[in-house]
Amino acid sequence: MGSDSIDISASGLRAQSVRMKVIAENLANADSVASSPGGAPYQRKIATFRAVLDGKQKGGEVQVTGVTSDKSAFGRTYQPGNPAADATGYVQTPNVDPLLETADMKAAQRSYEANLNAIEAARGLTMRTLDLLK
Amino acid sequence: MSIGALDAGMAYGRAISGAKGGSLLPSASPLTESGGSQSAGPNFGAMVGQMVGSATNSLHGAEKASAAQVAGKGNLIDVVTAIGAAETALDTVVAVRDRVVSAYGEIMRMQI
Repeated sequence: MGSDSIDISASGLRAQSVRMKVIAENLANADSVASSPGGAPYQRKIATFRAVLDGKQKGGEVQVTGVTSDKSAFGRTYQPGNPAADATGYVQTPNVDPLLETADMKAAQRSYEANLNAIEAARGLTMRTLDLLK
Repeated sequence: MSIGALDAGMAYGRAISGAKGGSLLPSASPLTESGGSQSAGPNFGAMVGQMVGSATNSLHGAEKASAAQVAGKGNLIDVVTAIGAAETALDTVVAVRDRVVSAYGEIMRMQI
């Protein structure tokens, strides 16, 4: 009982830490532009999840399907002196919105905490069941 | 890990009651000491041996995960869950053993 639900919650922890890593990558690269004139800047990444049925546990764990790129359009700023500027003096900036990333980070943090609480509850129940023997 | 607290409790109950047909271990041989008039119950030693073996396996897993983590190759979540599973398994074995040994001591102290 306890070990199964702890394993499922642990899969949630793993998924959320991957999400956290992707968010950190997006925030760190919020100002990364291309190194060549007219090149594409850093493209925002998104972690996607899916439920998988573990044959051994008979429980639905969460798994990271993959990390995909955000297809939304890049921003453009006029910076003629920038090495990445194209012929008209515009530089393409990453499609990362720090505000959005911060909100996403909070959501990931809350989800991680929820999984931690589920682990703690499951372990507490196991221990209390075991205490019946003592 | 294959030892759950509930499983252990039920196994303990079956070991104590020694009911016919309620054998805990398929391969367990019945106790044949004291003149062979003993009722066929599950072999407690084999049960504890199996549980300790299972707990040792999960402890080995926890150790391996910890070593990988220290070497910088492991995942902290794996270490925590492996150690938690090993701890639960060991606690279960110890609780069942304590309970059965105390029951045995109780019988030994009995006035005849």
